[in-house]
Amino acid sequence: MREVDERYFETLEAELDDAFDVAERARSRGGDPEPEVEIPVARDMADRVENILGIEGVAERVRELEGEMSREEAALELAVDFAEGRVGDYETKAGKVEGAVRTAVALLTEGVVAAPIEGIDRVEFLENSDGSEFVNVYYAGPIRSAGGTAQALSVLVADYTRALVGLETYQARDEEIERYAEEISLYDSETGLQYTPKDKETKFIAKHLPIMLDGEATGDEEVSGFRDLERVDTNSARGGMCLVLAEGIALKAPKIQRYTSQLDEVDWPWLQDLIDGTYYDDADGEADEADGEDGASNGNDGDGDEGGDGDEDDSSDDEAATESEDDASVEAVDYDGPERVEESTKFLRDLIAGRPVFSHPCAEGGFRLRYGRARNHGFATAGVHPAAMHLLDDFLATGTQIKTERPGKAAGVVPVDSIEGPTVRLANGDVRQIDDPEVALELRNGVEKILDLGEYLVNYGEFVENNHPLAPASYVPEWWVQDLAAAGVDVQALQDDPSIDLDHPTIERALEWAETYDAPLHPAYTFLWHDLSVEAFCDLAATVAAGRIEDTDAGPVLELDHTDATRDALETVVIEHRQREDHIEIDDPRPFVRSLGCRITKTGRIERDWVDEDLSEHARTWGTAEPGDNAVEAVTEVAPFEIRERAPTRVGNRMGRPEKSESRDMSPAVHTLFPIGEAGGAQRDVAKAGSHADTMADTPGVVEIQVGRTRCPECDTESYDHRCPECDTRTEPDYRCPSCDERIRPDEAGRVECDRCEKTATCVEPRPIDLNAAYRDALESVGERENAYDILKGVKGLTSTDKLPEPIEKGILRAKHDVSSFKDGTVRYDMTDLPVTSVRASELDVTVGQLEALGYEEDIHGEPLAHEDQLVELKVQDIVLSDGAAAHMLQTADFIDDLLEQYYGLEPYYELEGRDELVGELVFGMAPHTSAATVGRVIGFTSAAVGYAHPYFHAAKRRNCDGDEDCVMLLLDGLLNFSKSFLPDKRGGRMDAPLVMSSRIDPSEIDDEAHNMDIVSQYPREFYEASLEMVDPGEVDIQIGEDTLGTDGEYTGFQHTHDTTDIAMGPDLSAYKTLGSMMDKMDAQLEISRKLRAVDETDVAERVIEYHFLPDLIGNLRAFSRQETRCLDCGEKFRRMPLTEVCRECGGNVNLTVHEGSVNKYMDTAIQVAEEFGCRDYTKQRLEVLETSLESIFENDKNKQSGIADFM
Amino acid sequence: MPLEGPARIVQQLTAHGYNAEREAVTLLASRPDPTQALDRVLENTPDETLVIGAKDVERVLDAETESTREIAPPSESKAGTSDSAPATDTSRKTEIDTAGQDPTASPGERTTDSPGEAAVDAVETGGFERAGDRSQRDIAIRGDMTGESTGTGEYRDFIAVFRDRLDKLSSKLSGRVNHRPASSIESMPGGSDVAMIGLVNDIRSTASGHWLVELEDTTGTFPFLVMKDREYVDLVDELLRDEVIAMEGTLADDSGIAFVDSMYSPDVPRTHEPKTADRHVEAALISDVHVGSDEFMADAWNDFADWLHTEEAQHVEYLCIAGDMVEGVGVYPNQDEELDIIDIYEQYEAFNEYLKRVPGDLDIVMIPGNHDAVRLAEPQPGFNEELRSIMSAHDPQIVSNPSTVEIEGVSILMYHGVSLDEVIAELPSEKASYDEPHKAMYQLLKKRHVAPQFGGHTRLAPEEKDHLVMESVPDIFHTGHVHKLGFGKYHDVLAINSGCWQAQTDFQKSVNIDPDSGFAPIVDLSTLDVTVRKFS
Repeated sequence: MREVDERYFETLEAELDDAFDVAERARSRGGDPEPEVEIPVARDMADRVENILGIEGVAERVRELEGEMSREEAALELAVDFAEGRVGDYETKAGKVEGAVRTAVALLTEGVVAAPIEGIDRVEFLENSDGSEFVNVYYAGPIRSAGGTAQALSVLVADYTRALVGLETYQARDEEIERYAEEISLYDSETGLQYTPKDKETKFIAKHLPIMLDGEATGDEEVSGFRDLERVDTNSARGGMCLVLAEGIALKAPKIQRYTSQLDEVDWPWLQDLIDGTYYDDADGEADEADGEDGASNGNDGDGDEGGDGDEDDSSDDEAATESEDDASVEAVDYDGPERVEESTKFLRDLIAGRPVFSHPCAEGGFRLRYGRARNHGFATAGVHPAAMHLLDDFLATGTQIKTERPGKAAGVVPVDSIEGPTVRLANGDVRQIDDPEVALELRNGVEKILDLGEYLVNYGEFVENNHPLAPASYVPEWWVQDLAAAGVDVQALQDDPSIDLDHPTIERALEWAETYDAPLHPAYTFLWHDLSVEAFCDLAATVAAGRIEDTDAGPVLELDHTDATRDALETVVIEHRQREDHIEIDDPRPFVRSLGCRITKTGRIERDWVDEDLSEHARTWGTAEPGDNAVEAVTEVAPFEIRERAPTRVGNRMGRPEKSESRDMSPAVHTLFPIGEAGGAQRDVAKAGSHADTMADTPGVVEIQVGRTRCPECDTESYDHRCPECDTRTEPDYRCPSCDERIRPDEAGRVECDRCEKTATCVEPRPIDLNAAYRDALESVGERENAYDILKGVKGLTSTDKLPEPIEKGILRAKHDVSSFKDGTVRYDMTDLPVTSVRASELDVTVGQLEALGYEEDIHGEPLAHEDQLVELKVQDIVLSDGAAAHMLQTADFIDDLLEQYYGLEPYYELEGRDELVGELVFGMAPHTSAATVGRVIGFTSAAVGYAHPYFHAAKRRNCDGDEDCVMLLLDGLLNFSKSFLPDKRGGRMDAPLVMSSRIDPSEIDDEAHNMDIVSQYPREFYEASLEMVDPGEVDIQIGEDTLGTDGEYTGFQHTHDTTDIAMGPDLSAYKTLGSMMDKMDAQLEISRKLRAVDETDVAERVIEYHFLPDLIGNLRAFSRQETRCLDCGEKFRRMPLTEVCRECGGNVNLTVHEGSVNKYMDTAIQVAEEFGCRDYTKQRLEVLETSLESIFENDKNKQSGIADFM
Repeated sequence: MPLEGPARIVQQLTAHGYNAEREAVTLLASRPDPTQALDRVLENTPDETLVIGAKDVERVLDAETESTREIAPPSESKAGTSDSAPATDTSRKTEIDTAGQDPTASPGERTTDSPGEAAVDAVETGGFERAGDRSQRDIAIRGDMTGESTGTGEYRDFIAVFRDRLDKLSSKLSGRVNHRPASSIESMPGGSDVAMIGLVNDIRSTASGHWLVELEDTTGTFPFLVMKDREYVDLVDELLRDEVIAMEGTLADDSGIAFVDSMYSPDVPRTHEPKTADRHVEAALISDVHVGSDEFMADAWNDFADWLHTEEAQHVEYLCIAGDMVEGVGVYPNQDEELDIIDIYEQYEAFNEYLKRVPGDLDIVMIPGNHDAVRLAEPQPGFNEELRSIMSAHDPQIVSNPSTVEIEGVSILMYHGVSLDEVIAELPSEKASYDEPHKAMYQLLKKRHVAPQFGGHTRLAPEEKDHLVMESVPDIFHTGHVHKLGFGKYHDVLAINSGCWQAQTDFQKSVNIDPDSGFAPIVDLSTLDVTVRKFS
């Protein structure tokens, strides 16, 4: 590690230590469930693994093994340690297996995700029919977050440990095998699997698995076939098991095989059959199919990651590749043509109302693939021109997720203005390319048609990550300049010449280079000839030859007769022009005219130097989908220069989730985790609860509530406080056996079990609590008045094991500063993740001085930092907050200061005057489904509604940037207010809670997806050329993050190929969030679909109905006819309408939970859309049938709703 | 080919989609040249006519005397594209409770494939007239709620339907126990003997393995404890939520709970004596035709229809179809990929063509099922006018699901059977399973309700009355839906679940359901004996 990096981490850790000291002092006063900070610091992965598992000795052993072997091998080695009792303190063999399996999963997920603790319920031994014992592993839903590889390896480790402790293998019964197959299809249809094995495959796996996979029921739907099995507890689908079998074993077979072959103790010969697909009885008949799968699995093997996203695409791409090869060989006799990617419609699935389609698969006029990585790009993002964002009616904003055709499935949108913008036809007939967001806003209302969406930047690393063959590259200046250099031109000299702009050269220069050197025409003057057919090309040449050149002040203008064919051709090749009543004008027509094989004579006439028959057979039949549909070869033959395809790859996409930047509030929002039952009404108002009385006879404010009982060790006073109300000593939970009421003390492992009754003791009891007194005492203790806030909200009840309430004081101060608490006591703010590797002080709203104070000394070129627009390379743990997050953090900081002063009696810590003082403060970053927080440092702010940070920071949280969001917490808030004892006592309760924190990021210990990001400033010419052959990305040499791991350069040197003016360009918020109702959104969506040349609006309408309206209608109709009811007064729910008609509990009015209005809210719209957009009859008829159903249920046959006419 | 006798005339009319009054047939047969007369009638009868009456014949033939016109050849039927069935073995007779065995009947050689001609051929070899005297036919519908749906989806509609259920069914139980409302039981002294009739509100097992059954009436709920070692504990397994039962027991000391001594379902009285027809007449009970599906078994259906034209089927005068005429649209996701006919109206048109193949002198009753284009919530009203006009062949009676049809004194409760899925899922497999669907039907008979449980699989449309209650005991209970054939008797009520006319679908394959396709149970209404015919 470089010294500068070491210094950086030391700075962070020193500040962390300071905050820790403050928090320790505060918590030692005893007002919290534990007298010390409950988030242990982990310096490395080994620490995290041990902390999450809570098994001592694991970290040490992991560190020993780490240098010597891979993580997977270490997991197997640890299994031996567990089996032989060297690690972990387990008495039973089942315990040993369990320990080994959990450790393996923790190790493979870098100790960040909750899967090892939440995803594996238990391991137990069951008996085979012959009486021998086998291992049964109980998985739960959260195993999902472990990813396929860890899931699969957990099975292998379980089997390995099984062999080591001397148990038999599982012998699946026939009905169990069948059950697996049925259950997996059920789970797939209910929840969906990324990979669904065929029934035969499932059965084959189930038959051969040496351990039994079991798990908790995760859904309500039950299997209908193989029910009530002796060794399977439930008839519902077991989600965890399905994931492990399908996405683990079936999908990752090659990966497991790598390890089984090394181990003598386990023998999985069937894996080879699984991989080869030779598990079919009639292997011959199905061989083809099986081969396809084989290819897919091998692809994953080479890919070497757990990104399920990529895996799914692999199989389709393999198929696609095979198909295109076949096509080529079959049709080679007829014609030649360039390589093209296959259309994939997968991203259009589940289209919903209000989220527009921007481009249909590979559609002309859609986004054009350009290779490169902008500085705010990479790691599952897509670069879009900010002008395009505005022209798409602001539906795209920084951070908006798009579902995309390739290379991955989804991406976060980032603004990049160094690529080409969209081309539009305005109402006045002008066709213009718009490269300026301001112009886009000005002209937006006049746009009649978006002819081309402009470029779409994707970095090389995305193709590596998704193991997607390279798609043919657009011809772009960075490629052209290398072509020019290859042709022998001194490019360096040109670059140094201030009068030459290599990205946008003058026409004269461009033509001169093209005609002088053996290099293609500059991309700025290369039109999209490949979309034009040879026939149309010849016609266009003839039209142009018949055209006139007018000399104007601005230069020559080409005038053509206005015909439909000419206009279509010009719009197809996307050239700027003006469409007038009877003629069409093209400015600066020389490159265009030359490309058509015509010349402008000195007298201003146009001469065509060729006739149609001059074209060779090759050029005439050159095609992509059919012979002669691609005029590129024709251009090359008739023009005096070579032409490259300007945009051979279009990428289809649609809007996914909108970007997010908002505080995380529970619903309803909660200020304090103090239970008040129903007394506070639906708002959970603590003040209201304090004056609540059920009847006149009750004392106001006294409510019976389930809380944990505590006892003072000194004076034996019983209470529910953390401190004794009598003597202020810290209290202890008072556990009693539910059977014999014996007081039980926790044993060393924290278990409270009554030895005599063999029952778990509990301290929870219903207890009358004087809420009013508690509330008034709390106000007094922090010296606040009730008017410091509008409302103080508590919770109905506590969901934690011991039900120990949080002090109300904390809630009062939260309410005062208008922040709310998450289930674990922390204040959180959610933001969509986006990556950035270099930043400018100017765009972060900070000064150069502030950056310097944070240790930034020089810019990316090594120049001293002097100006605010210099680019500096971002340090790995520095993050950029959205404006909203900054404001929220300020409120939180004020809350923390008050808390320290008024509750803990300490000095304030933050004392922030303005948001610029937030710069340099530490925060926790934490992702959903994980259990580890990562320390980050605030470096600046952005108006985009996203959280920009280093891709490695996101990867440390195990997020990528494809529209994922996660949260930040202020450091001291986490340290002071987080407690494990608030966490719900249910499956998944420990997810999303900072059980451990990483103080520094080790690039080797993060989600390896981030290692696939390229970090160069230019892609080589070989790369572009290889892309035309659609080679595997691995065959091209471009430096990626992985290449620098373990070197001094692992934290630095993240270069980019494209700059962008500001990381927050384009709209600040997606129109999806600013438009009001769903109808408004949908109208806007359909409006866009009409405007875009790349979108088929009928298909959009069809899909909106199919995937949104119909499921909504059907679902609500179903819900209506089997709904629950609820009491309007007390909220009591009834499974069925009570025969008493009124509420059985309180006598209040009961009403339906699903009404006519919620059932048919989309009916009329859906029918109208289906009509207007010409949807197919099948869809219309489905709507008709539903409409009839609705009428039948909601209308009285004998009293049909009558129209106004009846009364006239 | 020469046409002789009324039977042929009927066949020919049927082939063209018409039903005929007896008088009309007689009138035609009495003409010097019946063939020509028939053709004239066929040509001059408007397409929308369903039944050709004597008046129609007279009108046409009178007109003919005024002007002679060209005689058009009979037009080919649209459905005439199916493959011809094997020459033999088109039907196999299976006696009650034995699997399909040797072929016992052969309708003879057939060489043509259009339904009309096939029908004629079948007659040529069989050569019979339907035995019964049509004047003895008698068919009456009870409980058809088509056009009677008055619910508007309000809370009070739901209340009304459940209260009506309790009302109707407690009348079946009130003679057996001395029951009290829940509210007054609460105030009775501990140790009292109590009884209550109510809807099962909740069934829970206690930590010690006993069962807690909460009954509900219009005054509230009361919990009854069924001890695990009592004889009634087995009955708890059979309980579904929202069915009506009576419980008798002893109040606990604190009057908070009662210990159950006995429990009763409305049930079919053991004294029930089924009514039978006065003459030898048979009804074919089928369901789940699923026309439009890729898996619809056209050949089996055609064989069935052809067989109905044979002498062997001469006593079959009634055809009951318990729902799912067509495969429908949008019943499950991506259904269009498995549809042979994508258009819902074309599906019904095709169904009508297939229906035309059965003899025109059958009386047909149909109810909708969950694949049909009516509301899914039960009770399902019969088809709307548009669909009725499509399914016009032989002028079937189209009634709601469920409905009771009384044929010559024998009452047949027709219900499509969606609730069977739920009964099978909730009850132990020895009491209800897909392999023995009739046993699940026994449960419904016992509960006297076709779909008791609310909130689960079965959907309920709230109406003023609970149309799903079996107010009177049927003689035959006919369902379908599960695509399995099964029948048997429960307290002398014949329960029949007819199979289907759809081969195994991918979905069924994946959930391990092997459908009984191509069976037609035939019930002799004079004895209530069942004969199963297999056509695949």
